[in-house]
Amino acid sequence: MQPLPKFEYREPESVAEAARLLAEFGSRAKLIGGGTDLVPSMRQGLFAPACVISLQRIAGLRGIAWEEGAGLRIGALTTLREVEASTEARARFPFLAAAAREVGSPQLREMGTVGGNLCLDTRCRYYNQSEDWQDCVEACVKRGGEFCKASPNGRARKCFAVFSADLATALVAAGARVTLQSAGGARTIDLADYYTGDGASPHAAKPGEVLTEVLVPGRMQGVFGTYLKYRVRQAIDYPIAGVALTLRARDGRVHDARMIVGGVASRPLVVKAVPELLEGRVLDEPLVESAARLARKAATPLANTAGDRAHRRQMVYEFARRALAQAAAHAAVATGEKGAR
Amino acid sequence: MKQVVLLNVNDAEHELLLDPSRTLLEVLRESLGLTGTKEVCLLGSCGACTVLVDDRPVLACLTLASACQGKRVLTIEGLRQGERLHPLQQAFIDKGAVQCGFCTPGMIMAGKALLDRNPQPTPEEAREAIAGNLCRCTGYQQIVEAIVAAPAVEQAARTPVADGGQYLMPDMAE
Repeated sequence: MQPLPKFEYREPESVAEAARLLAEFGSRAKLIGGGTDLVPSMRQGLFAPACVISLQRIAGLRGIAWEEGAGLRIGALTTLREVEASTEARARFPFLAAAAREVGSPQLREMGTVGGNLCLDTRCRYYNQSEDWQDCVEACVKRGGEFCKASPNGRARKCFAVFSADLATALVAAGARVTLQSAGGARTIDLADYYTGDGASPHAAKPGEVLTEVLVPGRMQGVFGTYLKYRVRQAIDYPIAGVALTLRARDGRVHDARMIVGGVASRPLVVKAVPELLEGRVLDEPLVESAARLARKAATPLANTAGDRAHRRQMVYEFARRALAQAAAHAAVATGEKGAR
Repeated sequence: MKQVVLLNVNDAEHELLLDPSRTLLEVLRESLGLTGTKEVCLLGSCGACTVLVDDRPVLACLTLASACQGKRVLTIEGLRQGERLHPLQQAFIDKGAVQCGFCTPGMIMAGKALLDRNPQPTPEEAREAIAGNLCRCTGYQQIVEAIVAAPAVEQAARTPVADGGQYLMPDMAE
């Protein structure tokens, strides 16, 4: 078996120690949680870090807790399986538990962590290939070359690799915030702002920062939420498209809608036109149709994952339509309950 | 730089001098000679290297051996109970769930993880438990049947029967 590139391996027992190691090794270090993203990438020669820093022995990074007045705190080292099975998550934000369950396979969810899902590297059929394959072609932008091979004329100088983390997409729709800790202190930002949109450098963490926690705001409890994933097989695959939708239904009308699409851009794609269209309106069939069309319009994927571009856009439309239809049914039920009182 | 790693594999303690870049799969197969755990895709896409680490089904090809220090690793070789096969192994034989056999160890370990948590799984739950394991021969049906039948095989193994110790298989009982 082709061995992994050699590296030094550290298991710090505190975030401070991890941050210190990150500062010491700089860009030559990689953090590892469950390893399901990093190890295959190292196997394909995409990374050859001098030091791999495991977060697994750091106490307090793992677990899910509800905090009154704040919300649901999920430690970065919590596994996706733990989110999927969490009674707190299932009771308060069932669509998040369901989104965690959409990731990979049972084994990948036992290993994969929430932090790892949020920090998932972007993917592209020209990037995630074996070293033998890579040896036969000119390097793309993400591998340090000049041009993006997936761009229409192969001449774009920007990387368009795709962000495809299911849970992260749903968490952006839930208005989640993340805490980034470094030797100098901690800061908390909106998860949506953690993504740069640049496929070559998709995350906004500064050098030396460790993502330690995600917080789902308590005010989001009780909102309607759904995450629908389109993929070739019903397991293992990354999404060809993933649509997350949250909204409040009051008197049958829609408020504070958010639609986020994964798998079609270098960040979780926020479809801004959907809340603008839906705010304060009754979600009837024509409105569902119009909103789903806006999602299709916003999604402009390149030929860089499974499925051709037209198909992926059409599936964004279809899965947005299904998510909106679910929301419409929920809004109707919410109205009915009110009427019955 | 190599590090000393203490690994507990199938209830045996091993003290190994390992380069940290070595995966659990490499160490099981190449250092410990436990070749039951199969090497296939090395990318986490096939499930053939599934083992249990602290009772959780994980992919040995994506697990660093050094990260398993102090944890319990169970492979297909550790399943048999004395001279007898584990009921799930026996169920795989009884149900014809093995064809070429390459996916079998991973399937059985994924199935065992399910049975440990849920002793009476439905076919649907069995399907989901092996959703991360690819098989190119059986079409999965017999594998699902074997996982669902394993509790009955275990039950039968506990029940002494008249004809000289051969325990009654669910199929033979019909």
